[in-house]
Amino acid sequence: MAMQKGASSSTSVKTAQHSLLPFLQTQSQQSLTRLYQRPSSCLSIFRLLDPLSRQLILNLLWLESPVPLSVMTAWVTTEGTRAFDDAVSILTKLHILPNPSVKLSLSPTFKASMRQAIIGGGTTASFGVPADAENKKPPSPANLDAYALERWETILHYMVSSGRGQRPREPSRGVIKLLTDSGLMSGSEAAPQITSAGFQFLLQTPHEQLWQLLLRYLVMAEERGIDLIEVLSFLFMLSTMEFGWDYSTSSLSPTQEVLMEDLRDYGLVWQRKAKSKRFSPTRLATTLTSSLPSLPTSSSSSTNTAAVASGTGATSEGFIILETNYRVYAYTNNPLQTAVLHLFVNMKSRFPNLVIGMITRDSVRRALANGITADQIISYLAAYAHPQMRKFNPLIPVTVQDQIRLWELERERVKSDSGYLYQDFQSLGDYTTLVDYARQMGILLWESPAKRCFFIREDGHNVMKQFIERRKVSGGG
Amino acid sequence: MKLEKGVLLTCDPAVKQILLMLNNRQPFILQDLDEFHVVIKAELEAWVRSQLETELEKNTYNLE
Repeated sequence: MAMQKGASSSTSVKTAQHSLLPFLQTQSQQSLTRLYQRPSSCLSIFRLLDPLSRQLILNLLWLESPVPLSVMTAWVTTEGTRAFDDAVSILTKLHILPNPSVKLSLSPTFKASMRQAIIGGGTTASFGVPADAENKKPPSPANLDAYALERWETILHYMVSSGRGQRPREPSRGVIKLLTDSGLMSGSEAAPQITSAGFQFLLQTPHEQLWQLLLRYLVMAEERGIDLIEVLSFLFMLSTMEFGWDYSTSSLSPTQEVLMEDLRDYGLVWQRKAKSKRFSPTRLATTLTSSLPSLPTSSSSSTNTAAVASGTGATSEGFIILETNYRVYAYTNNPLQTAVLHLFVNMKSRFPNLVIGMITRDSVRRALANGITADQIISYLAAYAHPQMRKFNPLIPVTVQDQIRLWELERERVKSDSGYLYQDFQSLGDYTTLVDYARQMGILLWESPAKRCFFIREDGHNVMKQFIERRKVSGGG
Repeated sequence: MKLEKGVLLTCDPAVKQILLMLNNRQPFILQDLDEFHVVIKAELEAWVRSQLETELEKNTYNLE
């Protein structure tokens, strides 16, 4: 049963909305229309949408006149109605489909830009301007990967080490501010500590991590008075760029040149010098709106040149072997991966390419106390399981899975709810009326007709008080 | 009718017995409802939880 649960939750993650979409929906129609003026933005948003919404857009894209809603719904099966309605409502909120109640047609701006994105042409330069070849060669993919990996791991490593009083290399001030602002770290500015949200963050995939930080970055940019649309279109432009190419900064607005500095810190873009006239997006940037892995750790498995070049020895695919006796063998020499494992594994020995540890009650409890959930531990182990492990079904030994969940349950032997205890009722009638009302309102937590007392939730207190007063009045009259 | 503010603890009977024992040391239970439920003073909840944790830890054994 535990396995099924794990499987279903992982599929639901895949079909879930991309985290950027809710944010876009909060933007005004005016700013979204400005965003849609750029073909690269339209293409990126299109890529973030779910398959049905994409299908709808493509159906409507080349039509000059609106389609009556009834025509479109004739295509939808009864089971699909809900999915169709959801897709239409998302597109409406994004102002891609204005007024869908009668006729369906794409917003003119979106339509024009999306067409341009597909057939090319135009002079908006929204996909970036490649730099002149001149005599400078663009950096090699291996170097770019190594650079992105180094930047990203510096951030994560900084987070994971803060809880243990170590001082690894610090990321830039802007990054630290971003981490504290997003609630992933807290405490003094000089030495912030990782929070429980931060621990959860560490176990996510790089793509999710990146977007979580970028969303926070967008909010911060808004507070700093930077035009959000400029930031978004810049990100979208990066996401549609070609990995391994050199681009010219000439087409960028002054705001975007300022942004460049921050994005360099996160490892999204590479520049030879701070004032350089050209820049190259890294894999972190070019995979922002695609489903490809954002870090070379898993993509360069065949060549592994990036790992060798960077010297961090990033392992390809998975690296963890977990045995039924709770032993963990992690084939890695990457300090970040070791540090993340250390969150919930009791480390025993360390060799040049291998770390051995044990999952123990204490180590899991330590993780739980930090706010990490059992499910997160299990999904992390599954996500980074060694290819050798993948032969097993279920992937993670059931004994270990169950035990980790049991350890989590053990912490919840006592459940507490604050509220109010009603007792010493004069008559059974009074008691039953009140208890029935509490049950109706859904605020009843416990009752005992024998003892004539019951317990209600704290937030139900006012409702109950009003009910009793009303009863008194009507009883008196 | 009487009204009392507190925290309702829902637990298993074993934990309940430990709670009763702790209560002898320092009273915090307002009402002992049944096998699975007690109402305690809201301000003492954190203390009760930490005491309970210590008691339960005494019953676990570690190989290391």
